[in-house]
Amino acid sequence: MDVNSFYVSCERAFDPTLIGRPVIVLSNNDGCAVARSDEAKALGVEMGAPWFKLETDATFRGAGLVAKSSNYELYGDLSSRVMQLLGRHSAWVEVYSIDEAFLGVRGTLPELQQLARRMKQDVMDHLGLPVCVGIAKTKTLAKLANKAAKKNAHLEGVCVWEAVTLADREQLLGRLPVVEIWGIGPRLTKRLNGLGIWTMKDLRDSDAVMLRKRFSIVMMRTILELRGIPCIPMEEEHEIKDQLIFSRSFSTPITDTHGMEQVLGIYAQQASARLHKHQRQAKVLSAWAMTSYYNTKDNHQPAVTVALPGPTADPLLLTRAAKELLPQIINGIKYARAGIVVTDIRPTGTQETFEPFVNPHEAKEIGPLIQKIKQRHGASAVGLGLAGMKAGPEWTMRREMMSPRYTTHWDELLVVKAG
Amino acid sequence: MMTIQNIRSIDGGGDQIMLPVAETSVAAGYPSPAQDYFLGSINLSEHLIHDTTSTFIVRVSGHSMQGAGIADGDELIVNRARKPVDGSVVVAILDGEMTVKRLRLTPQGVVLQAESPDYPDLAVGELASLTVWGVAETCLHRL
Repeated sequence: MDVNSFYVSCERAFDPTLIGRPVIVLSNNDGCAVARSDEAKALGVEMGAPWFKLETDATFRGAGLVAKSSNYELYGDLSSRVMQLLGRHSAWVEVYSIDEAFLGVRGTLPELQQLARRMKQDVMDHLGLPVCVGIAKTKTLAKLANKAAKKNAHLEGVCVWEAVTLADREQLLGRLPVVEIWGIGPRLTKRLNGLGIWTMKDLRDSDAVMLRKRFSIVMMRTILELRGIPCIPMEEEHEIKDQLIFSRSFSTPITDTHGMEQVLGIYAQQASARLHKHQRQAKVLSAWAMTSYYNTKDNHQPAVTVALPGPTADPLLLTRAAKELLPQIINGIKYARAGIVVTDIRPTGTQETFEPFVNPHEAKEIGPLIQKIKQRHGASAVGLGLAGMKAGPEWTMRREMMSPRYTTHWDELLVVKAG
Repeated sequence: MMTIQNIRSIDGGGDQIMLPVAETSVAAGYPSPAQDYFLGSINLSEHLIHDTTSTFIVRVSGHSMQGAGIADGDELIVNRARKPVDGSVVVAILDGEMTVKRLRLTPQGVVLQAESPDYPDLAVGELASLTVWGVAETCLHRL
């Protein structure tokens, strides 16, 4: 199951004036188009097109192109509602991305057809979001069925692969290029083309063992999946993985140690909050900064990896570790991105027996205290060091065209007229 | 990577509204031995929201629904999944605008009825596009 033009659909669910118009949603810092309505696609707005170009283009302006900043709060809330709703149709849900999920379902072909229609209708009734559903024996074919449902209007958003006639399925596979197969990117496509494999059908009918040797086991799985043999199992939901990354590009570059100190402090505290929330501790922290990819003149990419004194989620220790990057920062250089990564993550309280380390801050529970204060008084109420500064620092995200956060902020509720 | 923070579902996630409640004894007879026992908390979301996935809170602007007890600035708990019937207070989309009115399904057609003598009812013409966005279930009115 996936939601059609998810970000745009979320915007439209709360703002009916956007229905039928060309709408795009912009990436962080209002950089470029990351989601497009069908109308925007038809106008010729490319995925990833930079906003500063679209904004000044008379064609798009004349057509009434509307741009929205990413409203992550709204999308996140609606996404979690979609997933909850899907959970009512199957206890076996793998959330694949913010707008996509795999569900394990059973039944005869007519039953599956009916189930798919009901799921689609349910998401529309509850949330006003349009979705497409593809059902097949393997994940790879389910993705393909979903694509078919999206592209063929007469299917009305629902495609049960096995219910399509064999002739139609063969024709489709023979027509679609390998690049459209789930997990086959442009790079693999080039190599496959070199072997004379152009269409999905070519790949399905090729020698799986030979291709495993030339590529990898992943390629063989894809081939078997195209044949209807399930090889990619449903995954359990993984809340927290073996690493956490906090990184962003800045709206205006950071050019001095002072600014960088502030950024690193904030990331470290975000990492601390996430670790606390999931009751995890980390042993290693890396911090890095880099100049823009396009800045070839003053290219600089300092990085540092710090072994923490013991497994910890303490904000003071994480902040201190992140700041070890500072001596490498050169004043005057324009840093466009920075980030921290914490790794070697383990559940809290599973320290090795001979690690006699309990750090004093952790004993005072400073991390949880900060979280509590933030919960009660808002995210910017308190913070450590420069991260505690009240006024939003100038590098925070630019979201100038953001719609209200209708579902998560009391002051930004949808207003309906009684007039 | 952008991290998404501060996402809360409408029932407030972990921060649900809890009010303590104790059983009060009936006037007649001798007091129940359980009278002083704490019975748990009232979770307002549980009573006011029938379906967390389809429920949204919206804010009213304007005075046309005063007769229904809905004042300017009140919040409505709206269920998108509920089927509107004749008499439902609905949030409707009429020609692109979100409006709250009472839905009337009459033999003469659909009417969006105002609940104030100062405002006219809107007869929905056959060609007008009307969508019911959701059905209002509760009005939150501050005193």
